[in-house]
Amino acid sequence: MPPIVQVKNLVKIFNGSVRAVDGVSFDVNEGEIFGFLGPNGAGKTTTISMLTTLIKPTSGNATVAGHDIVKEANEVRNVIGLVPQDLTVDDDLTGRENMILQGDLYRVPKEELFNRVDGLLDLVGLTDAEDRMVKTYSGGMRKRLELAEGLVHHPKVLFLDEPTLGLDVQTRAVMWEHILDLKKKHNTTIFLTTHYLEEADSLCDRIAIIDHGKIVALDSPRQLKASLGGDVIEVSVESEVDSPDSITGIPGVIEVQFSEGKYRIKVTRGEEVTPGVLKMLWDQGVVVKSVNISQPNLDQVFMEYTGRSLRDAMQSSVQDRGQRMARAMQARRRR
Amino acid sequence: MLRETMALTVRELKHWYRVKVQVFMTMIMPLVWLGLFGQAFRLEELAMGPGVPPDMVQNLFAGAPNYFSFMAIGMLCVMVLFTCMFSGMSVVWDRRFGFLTKLQVAPIQRGIIPMSRVLSSVTRALIQSLIIFIIALAFAYIPGLVGLEIGPGFGIVELLLMVVILTLLALGFAAIFTTIALTIENQETLIGVINLLNLPIMFASAALFPTAFMPDWLKSVANLNPITWAADGIRQLVFENPQPIYDLSIDILGLVIFAGSFLLLGWFFARRVLNR
Repeated sequence: MPPIVQVKNLVKIFNGSVRAVDGVSFDVNEGEIFGFLGPNGAGKTTTISMLTTLIKPTSGNATVAGHDIVKEANEVRNVIGLVPQDLTVDDDLTGRENMILQGDLYRVPKEELFNRVDGLLDLVGLTDAEDRMVKTYSGGMRKRLELAEGLVHHPKVLFLDEPTLGLDVQTRAVMWEHILDLKKKHNTTIFLTTHYLEEADSLCDRIAIIDHGKIVALDSPRQLKASLGGDVIEVSVESEVDSPDSITGIPGVIEVQFSEGKYRIKVTRGEEVTPGVLKMLWDQGVVVKSVNISQPNLDQVFMEYTGRSLRDAMQSSVQDRGQRMARAMQARRRR
Repeated sequence: MLRETMALTVRELKHWYRVKVQVFMTMIMPLVWLGLFGQAFRLEELAMGPGVPPDMVQNLFAGAPNYFSFMAIGMLCVMVLFTCMFSGMSVVWDRRFGFLTKLQVAPIQRGIIPMSRVLSSVTRALIQSLIIFIIALAFAYIPGLVGLEIGPGFGIVELLLMVVILTLLALGFAAIFTTIALTIENQETLIGVINLLNLPIMFASAALFPTAFMPDWLKSVANLNPITWAADGIRQLVFENPQPIYDLSIDILGLVIFAGSFLLLGWFFARRVLNR
């Protein structure tokens, strides 16, 4: 089966000089959750905007479900759903009216539409609030409505641009439950952007790390982390073993260092190698005081490829966005 | 295409009738004109003193038996103009609040986005101007007030033709102002544009004053104003001895061309601006 999204050398230059997306190429397979991870301004949203036909690429091309995003924009629009970063639900309609309107825009058969709307509103837990005006909804409810709207027409590919941005931890967890549920039910391919490392790590089948408009790494989270050279086991001991070679000999061990009463053992899979290491130390009569396995995380991956920490890159901009979002919500209420 | 257009038109109308104050406010302005200006300002007596002979009044006011009847018909057309000028406002709001993004991602013809606003404005304009029409008629039955006096020939066909004329006028103006709004990013600018244009369009027409009172240059501008065509056409339908500027068929033809060309312009313009 050909990849459902194929992107070749996509470039977007704004105002003649800002290279927001600078020649990205990647494929997304049908049914997978594909994540775009990077700091704000890395080109995530611009890429999504091009793939969802909102803006035209400066050069390069891409297909979604076999349709060219420029020449067959309307065919692409038919098979995709977009849950954009900023809210797009209509405040002055009820939740249910928003859903029906969306169904009308995608020409979902009338007789089926009401069932689907019922099912989706139930799925995102908005059945009780369906006849209330959206302006009375909380931020989390709006976001869930937005998600449900993106699914009314059963898109083949669902684009989620920062779907959990600005939500509290609990709501984020609930959102992801919904998204995974939907994926299971409809085998929807999900393309998401996020700057939450944990989210990308635990949910995505594959991740593209994007920075300054370029993809710097693309693989499964596990492989990306493995590419850093594996886990580190730290073992504090009371005495040293006679021959360090006996540790190096254990399968899976890459490198052993000893300093200040502590072994730092670099291994491929920490949780599998640790028992062997401990048994060997035990057999040699070494008393183990404590053990710590640390696995490389995506932040370290990000650092490896870009030379800076994603967390640091995000810190200021996340606060910025939070404030902007709060202001936007206030403006909506005033209206 | 019909389904998407209807869905979006209904959305617009819901926004309108759910805000009762808004409906009320849009009715107030023409009522003030009819009630105060129309009642107090008896142009025929101002011009010639009291007791002007009826046929002279009719000569002055395109066949209307009094000035109030003349300006009431003009006010229907002004009502259409004032309602349709704001038809683009929701495009600006939608752009601001992201709803436009949703429409741009949806597999719908781009032209539907302005057309739905046009249709909802036309609906509103018709409802509001017909209410004005009824109120103006009712004035004739209130002692001490002047009302709209229509000729005995005014029947169902004339009423329908009047609705057609108002619809064409509304389509044209709504199309113009929605098209303008497609290029505007904030509501202050749009309100500025509306304020700049509303009075000139209203006064440079035969809506409130007969063109006979105007200097030549203004008269020639007024004769090209679609509001003049609409008012001229409706006056021929309503009054017993109309004194038209143009033949009724010319008025309607002019309005068809006016509405048709701006609708087409809006449709194709939307394709250009909404597909970046």
